[in-house]
Amino acid sequence: MAPIEVVSLSQQSPVTCHAFNADRSQIAVSLNSNEVRIYARQGNDWNHIDTLSEHDKPITSIDWAPKSNRIVTSAQDRNAYVWQQTPDPQTGNVIWKPTLVLLRVNRAATFVRWSPNEDKFAVASGARAIAICSFDPEGDWWVSRLLKKPIRSTVLSVDWHPNNVLLAAGSADMKARVFSAYIKDVDKRPAPSVWGEKLPFNTICGEYASPSGGWVHSVGFSPSGDVLAFASHDSTINIVYPGGPAIYTIKLAILPLVTLTWATEETIVAAGHDCQPLVFGGNQGGWELNGSLDDVHSNKSSGGSRSGFGGASPVGRLNSAAFNTFRNAAERGISNVPGSPTTSSSTESEVFTVHQNTITSVRPYAGVPRQITQVSTSGVDGKLVVWDVNAVTPISATGLAGKLGKLQVR
Amino acid sequence: MEVNFRKIDIDQYDEDALLYNELYDTDPRDPAQALDDTKQNAAAVRGSLARNDYVGALTLVLENAPYGPNVEEAKNLNLQTLVTILNSTKGTDIPGIVKALSADAQDTLMKYLYKGMALPGWGDVSGSVLLGWHEKLTEVAGTGCIVRAMTDRKLV
Repeated sequence: MAPIEVVSLSQQSPVTCHAFNADRSQIAVSLNSNEVRIYARQGNDWNHIDTLSEHDKPITSIDWAPKSNRIVTSAQDRNAYVWQQTPDPQTGNVIWKPTLVLLRVNRAATFVRWSPNEDKFAVASGARAIAICSFDPEGDWWVSRLLKKPIRSTVLSVDWHPNNVLLAAGSADMKARVFSAYIKDVDKRPAPSVWGEKLPFNTICGEYASPSGGWVHSVGFSPSGDVLAFASHDSTINIVYPGGPAIYTIKLAILPLVTLTWATEETIVAAGHDCQPLVFGGNQGGWELNGSLDDVHSNKSSGGSRSGFGGASPVGRLNSAAFNTFRNAAERGISNVPGSPTTSSSTESEVFTVHQNTITSVRPYAGVPRQITQVSTSGVDGKLVVWDVNAVTPISATGLAGKLGKLQVR
Repeated sequence: MEVNFRKIDIDQYDEDALLYNELYDTDPRDPAQALDDTKQNAAAVRGSLARNDYVGALTLVLENAPYGPNVEEAKNLNLQTLVTILNSTKGTDIPGIVKALSADAQDTLMKYLYKGMALPGWGDVSGSVLLGWHEKLTEVAGTGCIVRAMTDRKLV
């Protein structure tokens, strides 16, 4: 089915990341620069209303706390800022005022997320560490404690457990881990869960890897917090039941997924280099790919000569304009000089998905935890798209599904 | 632009550098054991080929394939056995054989195809045979299979 809303935020630059405010009337995005741009919805349009500039290197991640209405940003400049709306003492206008966070990392900050209670946030970094930040009222700043062991490489993503204490992290050392991020002055002692009972800071509650390795791009706790999903660069998605102990690995026939979010306790939406959001369903008994939110056959009407280009054929994505250029050169000695009149026009390289390039972020948009009804995606093509989670198009039996039904339990 | 700094091995200045062998679990067998297993497989493969059981032969070679450092001899022998199977298969049979393999065996086969392509002229390696298998395997297992062959540090 067609998506609910498609917004083209930028023609030239990718959308690095996006975050909506609580009532979804405003959105904060980074267009691959050191500025955060805030857009407000006005009818069907999104108007640029504010720019947050304090970082001096490209922004890597944004999160907008729904209850306390604070924005946290992380960037390659090794800093994070918490932005809060305050009246300007001179003009009286409400402005976003930044507060510096003492991260104490010496490499880029790569990812940031508020904890469920919004009294802490976690900043992943290239310094083989995750900074767990909490507010220090005496100093009027955010201080951090570092989760270091046993991380061996850049941390690419984090996700909070609903109990506000446990944190999942995916890293370039090919591992997904679950840590305790317990801060004495902030947290009450958490109830025992499947991840453990005693949870002092930096307890490692689990360490997992995909069978064929690969950077762990994205991690996510299920709404109950009892299940962990992670997607890695070997084109697999893995679902971990720590009590099992079982790991379900789904090997995909497509390019790797880089972002995922849970819609319900038994549904995951994930997307990545294949430009379309996929829906996975399952439970303790097993997991499988249900289909795509992007119906590649209904999107474009003008694609007669290139039918089967999208999800139907597993090698479909190889059949791009660039691929054909090289094939023509190799097989027929035809070389198209880019820019010459005979070169295929720009529409030739259009893919049949709504997103025209890698999707880098998928986030809940509407519904409540355990029952997310809509998700939003943004990506390298500069688009922001809102999808109905329940409008799943099954992927044809040939190609994708042939390989996907196979599950492996270790 | 000055780019030579990119060639400096910065890991030598880092006491805590991430080493290659930390990225995967090494082959649990010792080299002699791995070589023994591979020799037995090679003999069994000859039997399977005599019965025209190509799927069985490939499965023998691809399951428990030796990987990682220290087992070079076993790795070479396994590649040789695999190339024998690939070379003796009729082109029209390939799609059926590839479909009958398990997902793990498909991934391992893709690793061997790339290894073979990196060794032109080695033993009986034939580029056109490997490309024929590569095309059929990609049609069945998709680009994801290629991604896994490139990502996996357990080199065959």
